Amino acid sequence: MESNKKYWKGLEEYKNTPDFVENNKNEFAEPIPIEDVLSEAGLSTVTPRRDFLKALGFGLGAVTLAACQKAPVHKSIPYLIRPEEVVPGIPNYYVSTFKGQSVLVKTVVGRPIKIEVNPNAGVFSTGTDAQAQASVLDLYDVSKLKNPLLKKDEVTSWADIDTFVKGELNKVQASGKKIRIVSSSLNSPSAKAVVTDFTAKYPTTKHVQYDAVSYTGIIKANENSFGKAVLPKYNFDKADLIVSFGADFLGTWISGEEFTAQYVSNRNYKSLENKKMSRHFQFESGMSLTGTNADTRVPIKLSEEGPALITLYNAVTGANLSGGTLGNNTTADKVVKLVAKELLQNKGKSVVVSGSNDVSTQILVNAINAAIGSYGTTIDLDNACKRYEGNDAEFAELINEMTRGEVGAVFFLDSNPAYDSVNAKAFTDALGKVSLKVSFADRVDETSDLCDVVAITPNYLESWGDANTYEGFYSIVQPTINPVFNSRQAEQSFLIWSDATVQDYYQYVRNNWEKNVLPSVGKSWNDVLQAGVISTTAKTAGAYTFSMSLDAVASSIATSSKALAKGNGKDVLELHVYESVAIRDGKYANNAFLQELPDPVSKVTWDNYIALAPKQAEASGYKEFDIVTIKNAQGVSIDLPVLIQPGQAMGTASVALGYGRTKVGKAGDNVGKNAFPFVTFSNGTLKYATTATLAATGGREELAQTQTHYSFEGRNIIREATLKDYLKDPAAGSGNHHKHKVYDLWTTDKHEMVGNNWVMAIDLNACTGCGSCIVACNVENNIPVVGKDEVRKRREMHWLRIDRYYSYNQEPSAKADDHGGHGSSNGAVTKEKEIAHLEADQMNNVSVVHQPMMCQHCDHAPCETVCPVLATVHSSDGLNHMAYNRCVGTRYCANNCPYKVRRFNWFNYWNDSRFDNYLNNEFTQLVLNPDVTTRSRGVMEKCSMCIQRIQTGKLAAKLEKRPLKDGDIKMACQQACSANAIIFGDKNDPNSEVSKALKSERIYYVLEEINVEPGIGYMTKIRNIDSETKEVHV
Amino acid sequence: MRNISFIFKKVWKSTFVLAALSFLILTGAQAQTDLVEGKTLFKSKCASCHALDYDGTGPALTAGVNKHDDAFLIPWIKNNAALIASGNKEAIETSKLKTSEMTAFPTLTDAQILNIVAYAKAGEPKADPAVGGGAAVVDEGASGLSIAGVIAIIILSIIVLVVLGRAVKMLERLILEKQGIAVVEEESVSLVAGVRGLFKNKKFVFFTVLCLVMVLGSFGWMGMWETGVHTGYQPAQPIKFSHELHAGINQIDCQYCHTSAFKSKNSTIPSLNVCMNCHKNVQARTEDGAVSPEIQKIYNALGYDPEAQTYDKTKEKPVEWVRVHNLPDFAYFNHSQHVVVGEEAIRKEKGLKPTDQVCFACHGPVNTMEEVYQYSPLTMKWCIDCHRNADISSKKDDAFYTNIIKAHEKIKKGEKITPALLGGLECGKCHY
Repeated sequence: MESNKKYWKGLEEYKNTPDFVENNKNEFAEPIPIEDVLSEAGLSTVTPRRDFLKALGFGLGAVTLAACQKAPVHKSIPYLIRPEEVVPGIPNYYVSTFKGQSVLVKTVVGRPIKIEVNPNAGVFSTGTDAQAQASVLDLYDVSKLKNPLLKKDEVTSWADIDTFVKGELNKVQASGKKIRIVSSSLNSPSAKAVVTDFTAKYPTTKHVQYDAVSYTGIIKANENSFGKAVLPKYNFDKADLIVSFGADFLGTWISGEEFTAQYVSNRNYKSLENKKMSRHFQFESGMSLTGTNADTRVPIKLSEEGPALITLYNAVTGANLSGGTLGNNTTADKVVKLVAKELLQNKGKSVVVSGSNDVSTQILVNAINAAIGSYGTTIDLDNACKRYEGNDAEFAELINEMTRGEVGAVFFLDSNPAYDSVNAKAFTDALGKVSLKVSFADRVDETSDLCDVVAITPNYLESWGDANTYEGFYSIVQPTINPVFNSRQAEQSFLIWSDATVQDYYQYVRNNWEKNVLPSVGKSWNDVLQAGVISTTAKTAGAYTFSMSLDAVASSIATSSKALAKGNGKDVLELHVYESVAIRDGKYANNAFLQELPDPVSKVTWDNYIALAPKQAEASGYKEFDIVTIKNAQGVSIDLPVLIQPGQAMGTASVALGYGRTKVGKAGDNVGKNAFPFVTFSNGTLKYATTATLAATGGREELAQTQTHYSFEGRNIIREATLKDYLKDPAAGSGNHHKHKVYDLWTTDKHEMVGNNWVMAIDLNACTGCGSCIVACNVENNIPVVGKDEVRKRREMHWLRIDRYYSYNQEPSAKADDHGGHGSSNGAVTKEKEIAHLEADQMNNVSVVHQPMMCQHCDHAPCETVCPVLATVHSSDGLNHMAYNRCVGTRYCANNCPYKVRRFNWFNYWNDSRFDNYLNNEFTQLVLNPDVTTRSRGVMEKCSMCIQRIQTGKLAAKLEKRPLKDGDIKMACQQACSANAIIFGDKNDPNSEVSKALKSERIYYVLEEINVEPGIGYMTKIRNIDSETKEVHV
Repeated sequence: MRNISFIFKKVWKSTFVLAALSFLILTGAQAQTDLVEGKTLFKSKCASCHALDYDGTGPALTAGVNKHDDAFLIPWIKNNAALIASGNKEAIETSKLKTSEMTAFPTLTDAQILNIVAYAKAGEPKADPAVGGGAAVVDEGASGLSIAGVIAIIILSIIVLVVLGRAVKMLERLILEKQGIAVVEEESVSLVAGVRGLFKNKKFVFFTVLCLVMVLGSFGWMGMWETGVHTGYQPAQPIKFSHELHAGINQIDCQYCHTSAFKSKNSTIPSLNVCMNCHKNVQARTEDGAVSPEIQKIYNALGYDPEAQTYDKTKEKPVEWVRVHNLPDFAYFNHSQHVVVGEEAIRKEKGLKPTDQVCFACHGPVNTMEEVYQYSPLTMKWCIDCHRNADISSKKDDAFYTNIIKAHEKIKKGEKITPALLGGLECGKCHY
């Protein structure tokens, strides 16, 4: 008997609130004011015949006159001298590097408009993250400074700034004071060399690296345990068993997209066909992206993380460290012991990670990993990751130095401590004592505002540079456009201020590569510019043994755990501050695409919030969207609305970092609240867990969620099975054994798709819900950003959304069978009545499924038959076409679409002053894709299956007189997906990957019972749980 | 109106061509045969770098050949590099005149070289300024002036007729008066009464109204079909570039300038460096030695000084051409799809001659257009007509189409394979 799961999309549905029941009856979230029209103002008003005729006559005349307008004269201005490589209408691609990820930049007549995947880029060749996809928008940000700024002067040029800075530097040098360069982790070898050169010229210089979200704990722990102060390279692809304690490694932890690719390679359909799937346990307090993907997720309090690890260590090694009691969390205790057993069975094929930044905790994790033989297999200390090298203690020391007045000059490079340091006030006060303050930012942000000089830097798309992401893995940053504003790279400024012999940073980077990197691999500079990456032969990962006494570590963990466990379960809670999946640590806060990317779990846009478990909210007396004041021990407080989050551990609350910027720009200013004051600094590292006191304010603010927009009314759209059942029967849970009886209205007039038949297969087991595809789709298809208010009105325009379903395991019972409808074998059908029967504490442990949902390109599309003007019609290659200029906006199609994927343009988003803060300005609109129309007000739009890419791919083949190959055409979402969860291709080609994938027994079609013949097949979600872990779930 | 101006243009053109032909025949009769060959060879081999009477990439040729004797010129033209290498002093000196090396022409025979030299010495026979200039002026004003002329003539003749009529009447009356017959002056009254009577005639009123409705209605109907259709749109361009001269008389391939039509969606307006390929040398200097004003506009845009042959980047100013063919933004059109992939079918469908360029199918006889105008309506109906009718059966041998066409043929046996059959009428193929 298969499990009987209850799915729901949001808590309104789960709780079956009166509002939800009411809204559920309506197609649209907002009622259509028909009643208003029909009541007073509508029927009773009298329009005299003469008035009517006057209006009619005027209208006719006005329209006629307006139509008499002469056609506008269009100018066409060609290049004076066309650059050889630029052909208008044909895009160019250049390799570059975004935050250590090698990417391909698509440019159209000199404007970068899209980030694509660099197929040569090794670990980064499968996909990109949402931030990389959205980064093109940052280039066209109107909030940037156009000229460098020297505070004392009104008009400034680089010459003025150079004179000023050099003069001040000489004074500082003469006085013998210290010079500090503060940056976030700098993984560029050339930039580091520049800093070294600068230090040689000004010997009191020191480079302080600090990251707002820090990994110092891991680096220090590795130094402590193995004498290697590095962030290791994790190989999740080599792990059959993954145990994570609060590490969101598929989301924000170190290198989410890369880990996603590794992680999924053991869980996707190809791996399952080989009867292989990894197993993933997640212990965490807040519901993270990684937690939603875990096979078994156990909510634990923040204070229980240390004891859980000690328990695990004791169980794995048989040691007897003290402090390992999990108190009354018996479930966690049980699972930890189970995990220990499995870890020992999977020695050398498993990995334990922790998201903590506490050195002791990470030393303990090292001890466990050493005991299970992870080093040399799943953890590689010899090809270290260089993405994060920050040192929290050095930054804390810098504030002390500045306070003591020892620092004469400070330079801020890619860092914003006035916003994201633990104690911004202490920092600001200390900074006041420094005589020369220079900020390399592109705008007057929180820190630049306090500086004397804002030496504006170009976007990475306008810069030269390089990155060394892993030991021996180098990639190049090359400009794809000339600097738009009068900016200068920070490295070049340093070269000029230190009177270097080579002052051109391009030449500097090139020299550096030709001297240090290229000779060892025998490649030329031009090879690098073409391929983008150079990897030297990787070192063999060594196996490391752990031989330290852990008593001190255990007692340190126990102490900090005790310090955290002050919660009273009501108004004093353990607070977890975490990096937001969309805007990360706040650096991308002015990126409208990212602000509008829904959080993968809560589906909230444009805001942060305090997440509480349903039962916790009940205990504390808060309702959803109540604004509460959160106060820490230092008395700093912020007000945030409550979000009720199933799966959040009791006694804990979570708040996202990165919000509450005040000086970032039009889109991001004052969005959410800054949670960095809740980060604490102790034992030499930053801690992201603390205790906080909550107090009601009486206020209420609705969050802009995309959560319960569209009810599926309990239909069987998510299907899943356990690995055990899958191995017995690959079609388990897919409902394929019991086909529905379907009726067909089009028996005689079938669509004949004789040429191509474009379809997709989506692997629900691969999709992690990260949202990279959504941003890729937005950028590719010119999808407007609508802002918080419009999202609240459920008018977001995303063509592709990722539906997140919560489910809760219920043992099959007679009652459940009564309700299991639709004749499907797994009975995983939620009836509203049943959801209401669930208790709040049953919801503390939920499982989650992410389902990407876009136009299904149904062969019997219900939208097509209801369009009165034939604006949406079917094509001979299986696509559902949408002709915008034919659409008159009746919205019948949206009403009739069972998948609710059609979007209506309520405004002319591209030419309406209400949307000026997002994309509506001349400069930002340079990001638009010229091959896709921008839609006007009053028309419907939806996923076109990137028809512009299909047409381009076909034409390329036609011009070369060759047949179209599988893989020639890639969808924007498919390309961005690191997990390869989206497979696109021609169903008529029996050898295409998608044809093969669609033959999988796991394939099912959403709402197949209504026989609309969707073109997109979904593969069942498989969970690697067995009877023991399954018990945990209930 | 276009038709009238066309006819006028044609008339002027033919007279002009006739005049030019007779001139050529006259001069040709006097010239030596070697001069004719010399000219042809000069045009094909030398003209890209040399002009006869002014410096270009290479020095002015007439002065040049006058300086040297044939014994030097023959080996120099055949292979100047070898001559320089042999240490010939004259050659070394000559090579210093210009920075760029001269191309070698080893295939030219001695006789051919002598013909070129003879032609260069003789120089281009000067055209009669009266004939050339006069023709140009009239040609320019042909459309406007001639129309105005015709109208003036018509109006004049009407006036003459009216005046003559009056005079005749007056004379008649005088004669009648002389004969003593009293003239009854009731004509005007009866006219008014007649008109009133007409208005009371229901049949007449009905007929008139019907006629008016029909005329206005049909004008309205036609007008609506033409709304937003700009066939014949012929804006004035910032540079009077003549497609007739370049594509017609000089037979330059369309894609020499519109370089990306075969690979991109845009055919692209050429950037000025393409113009300079020829116009660095071809300066069409006037009598007083000034560069032709239209060519000078190219130089101005580029900041180019033809005398010093230098570019000044600070004086660059892009040329703002006026777009003639404005397809709406929501319609996607790709040149390469039609110029390369569909070439054969389009030629057949539009009945182009083998010598015609495929571009003519939609852009019309560009080689005869002094100023380009929009030839085709660019309406969706016009697009679709072709997509419905063009026969693309011959694509069977094209690897891209082989399987697709085979599959279609199974269903629609014997029917013509058109773009429409392969989905060329579907909205999303052009609108996305």
